[in-house]
Amino acid sequence: MGLDSGVLQDLVVALIVFGALSFSVWKLMPARRRLRLLLALDAWCARHPSMTRWRERWLKPRIARAAGVGCDGCAANDARTPHRPR
Amino acid sequence: MDATVTPLRIALVGVPNCGKTALFNRLTGSRQKVANYPGVTVERREGERATPDGRGMRVLDLPGTYSLNPTTLDEAITRDVLLGRLADTPAPELVVCVVDAVHLPIGLRLALEVKRLGLPMVLALNRMDVARRRSVHIDAAKLSAELGVPVVATIAVKRGGADALVEVIEAGTWIAPRAFAPALREHGAEDAEQMQRDMRALLAAAGYSPPRENPWSGRIDALLLHPVAGLAVLLTVLFVMFQAVFSWAEAPMDGIERAMNSLGGFTAAHMPAGPLASLLVNGVIGGAGSVLVFLPQIVILFFFILALEDSGYLPRAAYLLDRLMGSVGLSGRAFIPLLSSHACAIPGIMATRTIPNWRDRLTTIMIAPLMTCSARLPVYGLLIAALIPARSVGPFNLQGLVLFTLYAAGIVSALLVAFVMKQFARERQYSPLMLELPDFQWPNASNLVLGLWERVKIFMSRVGGIILALMIVLWFLSSYPEPPPGATGPAIQYSLAGRIGALLEYVFAPIGFNWQIAIALVPGLAAREVAVAALGTVYAMSAAGDDLSAALEPVISSTWSLATGVSLLAWYVFAPQCLSTLAVVKRETNSWRYPLIMAGYLFALAYLASFITFRVVRAWA
Repeated sequence: MGLDSGVLQDLVVALIVFGALSFSVWKLMPARRRLRLLLALDAWCARHPSMTRWRERWLKPRIARAAGVGCDGCAANDARTPHRPR
Repeated sequence: MDATVTPLRIALVGVPNCGKTALFNRLTGSRQKVANYPGVTVERREGERATPDGRGMRVLDLPGTYSLNPTTLDEAITRDVLLGRLADTPAPELVVCVVDAVHLPIGLRLALEVKRLGLPMVLALNRMDVARRRSVHIDAAKLSAELGVPVVATIAVKRGGADALVEVIEAGTWIAPRAFAPALREHGAEDAEQMQRDMRALLAAAGYSPPRENPWSGRIDALLLHPVAGLAVLLTVLFVMFQAVFSWAEAPMDGIERAMNSLGGFTAAHMPAGPLASLLVNGVIGGAGSVLVFLPQIVILFFFILALEDSGYLPRAAYLLDRLMGSVGLSGRAFIPLLSSHACAIPGIMATRTIPNWRDRLTTIMIAPLMTCSARLPVYGLLIAALIPARSVGPFNLQGLVLFTLYAAGIVSALLVAFVMKQFARERQYSPLMLELPDFQWPNASNLVLGLWERVKIFMSRVGGIILALMIVLWFLSSYPEPPPGATGPAIQYSLAGRIGALLEYVFAPIGFNWQIAIALVPGLAAREVAVAALGTVYAMSAAGDDLSAALEPVISSTWSLATGVSLLAWYVFAPQCLSTLAVVKRETNSWRYPLIMAGYLFALAYLASFITFRVVRAWA
């Protein structure tokens, strides 16, 4: 079944639209609510050791960024990985 | 970094514009905004650096302050962090007091105050390269011995310029056992005199010789600060900037537009017809692609802004405009926040923390969204290119002139609103502007390139992030439900977005907006430039057959009247089309009252301005 199939096209489009809608809701959500959700996710990850790596690498920088203010338009909330030791 | 030990907490303190943030960036690898004027940093920022022993360091960049007795909100943050008064930020274990080596006496006074807190301290003599060039002599060893803390030379803007500081921190020679909590002593007149005596003794011990005066600097200042010639120079600088935005950007914009059209045509030709092809051509390429075209204009605008910031010219412009701003009830300190608002209103509103008087601060917050932020540029660029002929008026480009007028309209209306707010104020007190004029310098090329790169990344991440996502959602709303069998009009008219647009048209018809504009204004609430992408998607969906990926500009010039286009421009000068700005106003004022008042008055002004503009231009044309 290739892209010529109407059903497959509908399915791919539905997935893309759902992803875009979720992303838009997340980005436009009030900062405080977004932080609260991230902290709840962080608490859940803390109880699951298998999530430690993901939590450190992905979740923590986002929490740090969400805890500040600013928007996509300014570099106010820059959370970069630290320098490696010399 | 070892996660089980807590990193060493280091705070960077110093007077404004001594290079703290540049040093912070050097230490942590961050790219926080730096500029050659005071008041850029208004809240604490945190970054980390790994160390060979595995402990790591957590570096706090604090707002600049002349004293630990604050007069403004940003200065209070510095004092509170040093004293450990903030619940989420324990007192630092080490304070790095950054002083500008060229103007050592100014920074040394604060260093003495910080030292009295009892916190371990290292003194960083920053801008040592400039100090040497200007024949400033400082004996760092003697200063260290006299002050009782390590003193190191740094050049924060150069690679490796903070190595000596890192070595001292890692060596731990600064360690001083502390048996008491940091405490602030009340200042009396006697205390201030004693501190002045201590400072003079330190300067004498270090053999400090003041910087050699630069004769050119004095002459340039005589011109730039002259009430008439200075204003003429300021207007010329702004004028050249807006002319360049249109003239220089033409060729690269045409290139991007052609590339987008080719990509749309290629995609439409090589994909089987269906919803996926429509989504890619109309939603992604027609929508997000139409905003991408404006990247060259954004880069040119920020090239000028960054160059002016780095040169030290902007505080001079603040000095020039202080009298004018004072006459409409604005504090001189409002200049830097209002200037920052030309990039984005959010850092501008946050920068109002440097204004000590609440009434002055509130006025500045309320007018900050009237400054033309960079997100408006794609809207202005699109409408001007579509409606204003690209011809010359004398030596000037007409399109550049219109852009200059729109920026000027934002500034003038902000001054008028401030004047009206002044009439409602019970207390009318003028706060004089006290601003340290920084040294002139040539803009640093690497700073400029890095700053522009940051802006390109921010713009691209917006286009590839929220703008793209909203355009996909808008495409969906513009495509479904599908038209009934036998329908004759474009499919979008039968869709959900089409019906919403038809309803909104009743509200916007008196100001000349059609249903396509009405639809585009709704997602434009997320960010202003989204409206351009939304127009791209809506018009692509309204077209038929081969015209699917046609460029937006010719569509607008052929279907809109001049009155409609100019009315939309007037709308964008005033409309509060950015939810993030309102959220930050709520946070900064700690009340919903002010963002609601702001949204109300800006919408009312936008509607009124568009109504008048539409009627006048229609009657005239």
